[in-house]
Amino acid sequence: MTTSPSPYLRLTTVDAATTVRIEVNGDLDYDSAPHLLAVVTGKLAERPDLKDLHLHCAGLGAIDSIGLSALLMIHRHTSTAGVRLHLEHRTARLERLLAITGTLDHLTTVTTGDANAPADTAQAKPRTNATPARLTGPDSTA
Amino acid sequence: MVSPEAHSDSTTEPGSPWDGAPYPVLLTDVQGMVVLSNAAAAVLLPAARPGARLKDVAPAWLSAAHDVLRTPGLEASRPLSGVMGARSFEAHPSVQADGSVVWWLVDDTDHRLVREALTVERERTAFLAEASNMLLSSLNLGRCMGVTAQLAAEYLADAALVVAPSRGRRMPVVTSLRGASPTTKHEAADPNDVPGLSEALRGFPPVPSRWIDPGGAPRWMVPEDFGPVGSIVITPLPGHGVPAGALILLRRSDTMAFTQNEEVFAQLFAARAGAAMSAARLYAEQAAITDVLMQELLPPTLHQICGIDFAGGYRPSADHERVGGDFYDVHPAAVEGEASLVALGDVCGKGLEAAVLTGKIRNTLQALLPMADDHQRMISLLNTALLTSHHTRFATLVLASAVRNGSDVELRLTSAGHPPPLILRKNGTVEEADTSGTLVGALPHATARTAALTLSPGESCVLYTDGITEAKGGLTGDSQFGEDRLKRALGQCGGMPAESIVEHVQMLAAQWVGHRPHDDMAVVVIAAPRTHHLTAVSGHTRGRFTS
Amino acid sequence: MTSSPNRLQDQGRIRNLADELWQAVQATDEHTATEVVLRALEEGMEPETVLLDVIAAVQGKVGEEWADNRLTVAQEHAATAISERAVAALALHPAARTEPTRGRITVACVDGEWHALPARLLAEVLKLHGWRVDYLGAQVPAPHLIAHLHRSDADAVALSSSIATRLPTAHAAITACQAIAVPVLVGGAAFGADGQYARLLGADAWASDARTAADRLARGPLARPRTNHQPIDDLPHLADQEYTMVARSSAALVRTVFTGLEEAFPAFRDYTELQRDHTTEDLTHIVQFLATALYLGDTDLFTGFITWTARVLSSRGVPLQSLPPSLGILAGELKDFPRATHTLERGINALGPVPPPTTGNLA
Repeated sequence: MTTSPSPYLRLTTVDAATTVRIEVNGDLDYDSAPHLLAVVTGKLAERPDLKDLHLHCAGLGAIDSIGLSALLMIHRHTSTAGVRLHLEHRTARLERLLAITGTLDHLTTVTTGDANAPADTAQAKPRTNATPARLTGPDSTA
Repeated sequence: MVSPEAHSDSTTEPGSPWDGAPYPVLLTDVQGMVVLSNAAAAVLLPAARPGARLKDVAPAWLSAAHDVLRTPGLEASRPLSGVMGARSFEAHPSVQADGSVVWWLVDDTDHRLVREALTVERERTAFLAEASNMLLSSLNLGRCMGVTAQLAAEYLADAALVVAPSRGRRMPVVTSLRGASPTTKHEAADPNDVPGLSEALRGFPPVPSRWIDPGGAPRWMVPEDFGPVGSIVITPLPGHGVPAGALILLRRSDTMAFTQNEEVFAQLFAARAGAAMSAARLYAEQAAITDVLMQELLPPTLHQICGIDFAGGYRPSADHERVGGDFYDVHPAAVEGEASLVALGDVCGKGLEAAVLTGKIRNTLQALLPMADDHQRMISLLNTALLTSHHTRFATLVLASAVRNGSDVELRLTSAGHPPPLILRKNGTVEEADTSGTLVGALPHATARTAALTLSPGESCVLYTDGITEAKGGLTGDSQFGEDRLKRALGQCGGMPAESIVEHVQMLAAQWVGHRPHDDMAVVVIAAPRTHHLTAVSGHTRGRFTS
Repeated sequence: MTSSPNRLQDQGRIRNLADELWQAVQATDEHTATEVVLRALEEGMEPETVLLDVIAAVQGKVGEEWADNRLTVAQEHAATAISERAVAALALHPAARTEPTRGRITVACVDGEWHALPARLLAEVLKLHGWRVDYLGAQVPAPHLIAHLHRSDADAVALSSSIATRLPTAHAAITACQAIAVPVLVGGAAFGADGQYARLLGADAWASDARTAADRLARGPLARPRTNHQPIDDLPHLADQEYTMVARSSAALVRTVFTGLEEAFPAFRDYTELQRDHTTEDLTHIVQFLATALYLGDTDLFTGFITWTARVLSSRGVPLQSLPPSLGILAGELKDFPRATHTLERGINALGPVPPPTTGNLA
């Protein structure tokens, strides 16, 4: 299945037994990132049996901060759903962005749901606002 | 048509064929003598009997027309016209073979009145169009008031005043005398003292124009050297939901008083002026609100603090905007001898939405200043403060603590997912600060590693956002400016004042992108001021022009 | 106070101060620069004299030194920053404090104009003359300028531009101000030695320097411009779209010339990234000046730029033999555009015979 609402991003989704592979071709940015996020969220909802999500990144062009934000959101969703996220065939550009932003380990260390649990439960649960030092409330508009 | 023999005796005969003509007809011979005048002409010009000289019996314009017609080469091409008695006529000549002329006189009085009315209407339309043009061109209230008063004094009256509803005790009044520039005053007058003025200023309920007794007009209402006032009319300026003010028109006693028609016209003008003035007022109010809100979001102006030079520059991605997703701040040390804190960062997203998030981060950092000596803790707390389950909008930033130590500056730099700052050494080398960490606002934990280093006098530290290095341009149009170019450019900036390093980097990046779209770009430079005895360094260094 | 009646002596003093300031500026010595300026004020020199005959004179020398390759662009920026600091120090001195007695003037640089110092000097001079001045600084986008004017009700805008390639942008800014009935006084090298481009672009006034600008504004208010003026009326030749075409495809034109030069001069292929960047920059300038000449309908602007470039490159020891072929390739690309072709031919002629290269390097 190929979907491409944006001329700059083309997604090809391949379903297998317990895995889904999405090939990402083109730029992941302000305009196109919401599309990838929507496709992944849809797939997670549609496939409760899913164990592994592979994002094939060899064809990834430019990626901006909104694109990275989408990857972080995808990681949140997969963690919540107990699905392992694999960012495969990362381009040098993506690798560099993940390195500078300190997100490489977070996004690429594939762990079982348990090992990731303490961190992920904090963000996966609807926010309980348990953090004492929190200065501002959850803000959906921010 | 008319034979020479026939007309000599046909003139007196009643029932001449000309009598049936619907228009007055005069036949004149070559010498300008009346030969024949039909019944209608006899009523119009009783003296124009056959044998009379046209010059003696007809209005001057007609006999002049006859002379022109008789002069060879001066063919009158279009119908001539003029007044006879209370009415006006067009004279249509038709020259006969023998040189005599038949003058057909066509009453065009109604026609002329209609034409004149049309001219007046056209002038008024043109005036209203010009007025609209001038009024709509400005969104400045004072300017709109000035234009209104000036136009009114030019076309509607000898002098005009525009009064705006007052915010305080004084009423803003713009006065314009015909032929002079409008002047603005703030009158400490009570509009209630002038009949009709306070109603007009209140704007509700709608009130018609109101005449006031010129003798009763307060002194502020009559311009100096105006002379005796003949008539004054006060017209409300209708606004859009808000009262826009009042227009006061004055005519001198030797000028005709306002006709009803003129008054109606003045109201048409007032409607346009009122609309423009209330739009200007709304714009000013909106602009004031934006200014107040924007003040919090605009990057600050930086300068020397506690013996350290700071300079910053910011260019939003869109030219019409003043804010965006990049931000920077310098917080001077609370206590002398402690470090000042610099923060520069970039939030995910763009435009006003991103700017609002930068405001939140800047406020949070401000609140965390008491722990400014512990960058990691600040970043961790900032991360917690920004974290929400709704989204993964994150920010990357660099914190820099700078304190003067003798003539050196001690720096601690911490990157939270941000490109590391660059250090310009005296020998022209450019180093990357050895710091790294995670971005804030998206991951459950944020960690970072701090680098400590020292700037000698003349050395500086450059904090920048990726809008600079990722600016696309160059020969292919899509190559990035990149860190290497930035480092190379900075290599030429050794010993330069902080603000000129900022300017230099901004200029190079701007030239690189040209007219292409770009992201927000921010640069902050922290420099250890050069001590005075070092000033002789490198003034004459030959610049390299590499090509 | 040492107000000397002897003009020659005054001029000598001014020259000495300018020399001192020049030394300080090229040594990036803010302390001395500020000290020179403040001392002049303490000794009773008019602030306007210090601004225009000392600081502006030094800044003029900075530009000359750069053109003659005795200062790098970075050093030029540094020198300017020192002059700016000297101006700031002067502005704060009691001798320069003036109560506003006149109207309000907005002083701004055209968008893309980085040289803010001339505008800054004008702003300070106008303040000394009793104007209320809003100084908006370097590169002000037209929307910001117009928004400011809507709020401030300025009597006039003083618009500064030093680089001719900013003239199309300047024209847009001039007409935008005039459309809201604010008259525009322009100044700066971009508008031509005798202000010919100021007239061409319909500015309400032109001043060759800050003193003339202040005199012009002091003579009486600039008339409010009529608001129904159409920019195209100034430049009817724009109807042929040659400017639009060249400006829009400038990046592609630069690429084409670059590729053409690589074919003509094999040495090009061994260029470092920095050399390639410089060549791209030079070619971009050429195309920008061509576009500007087409916008203004003035071939001389282009030939003037080409001969100036030749002089600057020579002073930097850069051989020129790639300059005529660059123009030739452009002319070939733009052969369907008669004004562009004619302009380029004039440029080639203006260069005259170019000496053969002594090294493998090219401009």
